[in-house]
Amino acid sequence: MAGVSLSNIIKRYGAVQVVHGINLEVAEKEFVVLVGPSGCGKSTTLRMIAGLEEISEGDLLIDERRMNRVAPKDRDVAMVFQNYALYPHLNVADNMAFGLRIRRMPKDQIATTISETAAILGLTDYLERRPADLSGGQRQRVAMGRAIVRHPKVFLFDEPLSNLDAKLRTQMRAEIKRLHNRLGVTSVYVTHDQVEAMTLADRIVVMNDGRIEQVGTPMELFNNPVNTFVAGFLGSPPMNQMKGQLTETGARIGSAEIKISGAMNGDAGRDVIIGIRPEHVTLEPGAQTSVLPIELDLVEPLGSEALLHARFGDDNVMFKTETHGDLSHLSGVAEVHIPASRVKIFDAETGNALSLGG
Amino acid sequence: MVEEHSTATQSIQDNVLQAREAAPLHSDGKMVRLLDHFKREWQLYVMLAPTIIWFLVFLYKPMYGLQIAFKDYSIFRGVAGSPWVGWEHFETLFSNDQFLRAIGNTIKISALNLIFGFPAPIILALMFNEILNARFKKTAQTIVYLPHFISSVIIAGIVITAFAPTGGIVNVILGWFGIDSIYFLTRPEWFRPIFVGTGIWQEAGFGSIVFLAAIAGVNPSLYESAVVDGANRWQMMWKITIPSIMPTILIMLIIRIGNIMEVSFELVILLYQPATYSTADVVNTWVYRQGLQSGQYDLAAAAGLFNAVVAFVLVMTANTLSRRYSRTSLW
Ligand SMILES: Nc1ncnc2c1ncn2[C@@H]1O[C@H](COP(=O)(O)OP(=O)(O)OP(=O)(O)O)[C@@H](O)[C@H]1O
Ligand SMILES: [Mg+2]
Repeated sequence: MAGVSLSNIIKRYGAVQVVHGINLEVAEKEFVVLVGPSGCGKSTTLRMIAGLEEISEGDLLIDERRMNRVAPKDRDVAMVFQNYALYPHLNVADNMAFGLRIRRMPKDQIATTISETAAILGLTDYLERRPADLSGGQRQRVAMGRAIVRHPKVFLFDEPLSNLDAKLRTQMRAEIKRLHNRLGVTSVYVTHDQVEAMTLADRIVVMNDGRIEQVGTPMELFNNPVNTFVAGFLGSPPMNQMKGQLTETGARIGSAEIKISGAMNGDAGRDVIIGIRPEHVTLEPGAQTSVLPIELDLVEPLGSEALLHARFGDDNVMFKTETHGDLSHLSGVAEVHIPASRVKIFDAETGNALSLGG
Repeated sequence: MVEEHSTATQSIQDNVLQAREAAPLHSDGKMVRLLDHFKREWQLYVMLAPTIIWFLVFLYKPMYGLQIAFKDYSIFRGVAGSPWVGWEHFETLFSNDQFLRAIGNTIKISALNLIFGFPAPIILALMFNEILNARFKKTAQTIVYLPHFISSVIIAGIVITAFAPTGGIVNVILGWFGIDSIYFLTRPEWFRPIFVGTGIWQEAGFGSIVFLAAIAGVNPSLYESAVVDGANRWQMMWKITIPSIMPTILIMLIIRIGNIMEVSFELVILLYQPATYSTADVVNTWVYRQGLQSGQYDLAAAAGLFNAVVAFVLVMTANTLSRRYSRTSLW
C-alpha cells in the first residue's frame, strides 16, 4: 500500500529545467536505488519526494495520496542525509528522540523506542555520547536510527555511505540491506556508486541528465542494458564499447569478424557499437566464439582474477580473467575469444540497444 | 614468535627514530629554533608587527605611568621623580562618596546593559534570520546598522532633541495622551533607561552581524532534517539555531562581562548633566573630571587601575566558568 508513484515529475530552477519528466512506480516494501553520474538530478528527485524541493510539474503520490502540496512532516517519510545531519549539541539518544518529541510522543514510549532501535543498531553503549565523539560509522548508524524510530511509510536515503571509507561502506551496505529485510519499509536510495546500487536494490533506476535511462532489477540492467549509457555505467570495469558494422552473418570490428546471436533488425553495413563485458571473454576458443586479436598492454593482478589492459585497433579495451593463482600464462596473450551470446549491439548514432541478446 | 620478533624490531626502530628526532632539539635550544622559525615565516611576523607595535605604544607604554597611582604625582617632578605614597590614593578613593556612587552607578548601568543590551542583537539576528523576503531583509538590516556609523555626538544630539521638553517628539506624543511635558534629561530616574535604550539603538543592529554570521554557519541539512521530522520554524529556532550559536553567544558574553566597568564614556559625558550625576556619574566620567579637569592625575590613575583590576578579575572568572560548564572559552 505505501508505495511511491512519480508521474511526469518536472523540476525547474527559474528557467533552468533539471528534471525532465520522471515516471516511476515504487511498490510497497520495495528498495529502489536511483543511480547516475553527478548532477543528473538524483538528489533533486529524492528531495521532491521528501518535500524539501517544490515539484514544478507532475504528480507525486505516496500511499495513493497526492503529496505535491503536502508539508514534509505530513508525508510520513524519513530521510537519511549524506552528512548525517546530526544535532551536534544533542547526545545520541536525544538525536534519535528529536522527531518523536516534536510529534509529542509520550516519554516512556520514546524511551522504549530508542532503546529498541539502539539495540538493533548496536548503539546501546553510545546513547549518552555527542556526535563529535563518535566514529563515522557510528554517526551513520545514529542517522539511520533517527529515521527508523519514526516508523515512517517511506525511507529516503541520499548517499548515506559516501562519507565512509571503503571497508565501512561495505559493512554498512550489508547492514542497510539486513535492516530493510527486517523492517520491510519502502525505500528510495540515492547513490552514484554502482556497486552499492547493484547490491542493495530490488530495482535500479539509472538516471542521466534529468531523465530515467532504464529501470529494472540489477541483473536485468546488467544483462540487457537498453543503451550504451546504462551499459557503460553498470559493471566494473565497464563494458567495452567498440565501433563496428553489421554484416550479413554478424558484425565486424575493423578486420575482426564477430559472431552474434539473435535476429538483427538492422541492415548489413549499418554502423553500430559493439559491446563486450570484460568478464565475458575467454582465453580459450569455445563452441560459438569469435577471435579478437589484441595487443596486451598491462596485466593487473587482483588475486583470483586479473585485469588485462589491451589495445584493439584504436580502442583501449579491458578484460577480466581467472588467474588460478598464476600470472605466467597471461603475459603472452595475443587474442581473446568472445562468446556470441554475450555480444551486445547498439546503434552508433542513438546508442540504443539493437538486439536484446540471446 | 614471528609476531613477537617483529614488534620488538618495531619498538627498537621507534626508539631510534625518537632519538634522532630528539637530538637536534637538545643541541639547538629554544632560541635557535625560534630564529629558524622566524627566518622561515618572516612574512607572517611582518604582518603581525603593526598590531604588536600598536599594543606596545598605546597599551604597554602608558602602563609605565600607572605607577603614579602609588605616588604623590606632580607634572613638574615627573613620573619618576614623584615620591611614593603607597595606598594613600586608594584610601582617599574609598572614603570618597562620589567615587563610591560612581562605582554603584557603573554597576547598575552595566547590569541594565547586560540584561537588555546583550540579548538585543541576538534577538535581532534571530528575527532577521526568519525574514524570507530578501529585499525586505536587506532594507531592514541597513536601517538597524545605520546608527552604529553615526558619531556619538550626533547620536546624543538626536536623543537630546527627541527628549526635549518643548517640541521633542517624545513629549509631543505624550502630549497627545494628555501627559504633561517631562524634561527627561534633567531627571535622574530617567537617565539610565534613556542611556541604555540609546546604546541598544546605536549598537544592537551592528552587534547582530556576529550572530547572523554564526547562524549562517549552521549546517543547512540540520534544518532540512528537522523539517522532515516535523519541526516548525519556532521549534527550529529553539532547538537548532540557538543551541548552534551558543558558543558565539558565550564568547560575546565573556567579552561583554570583561567590559562591564567600561560604560560607554563618551555617551555618558554627552548625555549627563550635574542634575543627573546621582544616577549617571560612572567611574570613567568621575576619573575624567577628577583627573583632567581638577588635575588630580594620581587619584584618577588609582581609580583607573582599580577599574582595570576589577575588569580583569571578571573576565578571568567568566572565561573559567564558561570553559568549565560549556567547553567554550576565549582562551
Ligand atoms: N538550487 C538550485 N538552483 C539551480 N540549479 C540547481 C539547484 N540545485 C541543484 N541544481 C542543479 O540540478 C541538477 C541536479 O542536481 P542534483 O543535486 O539533483 O544532482 P545529483 O544527481 O544529486 O548529483 P550528485 O551525485 O553530485 O549529488 C544539477 O545540474 C544542479 O546544478
Ligand atoms: Mg546528490
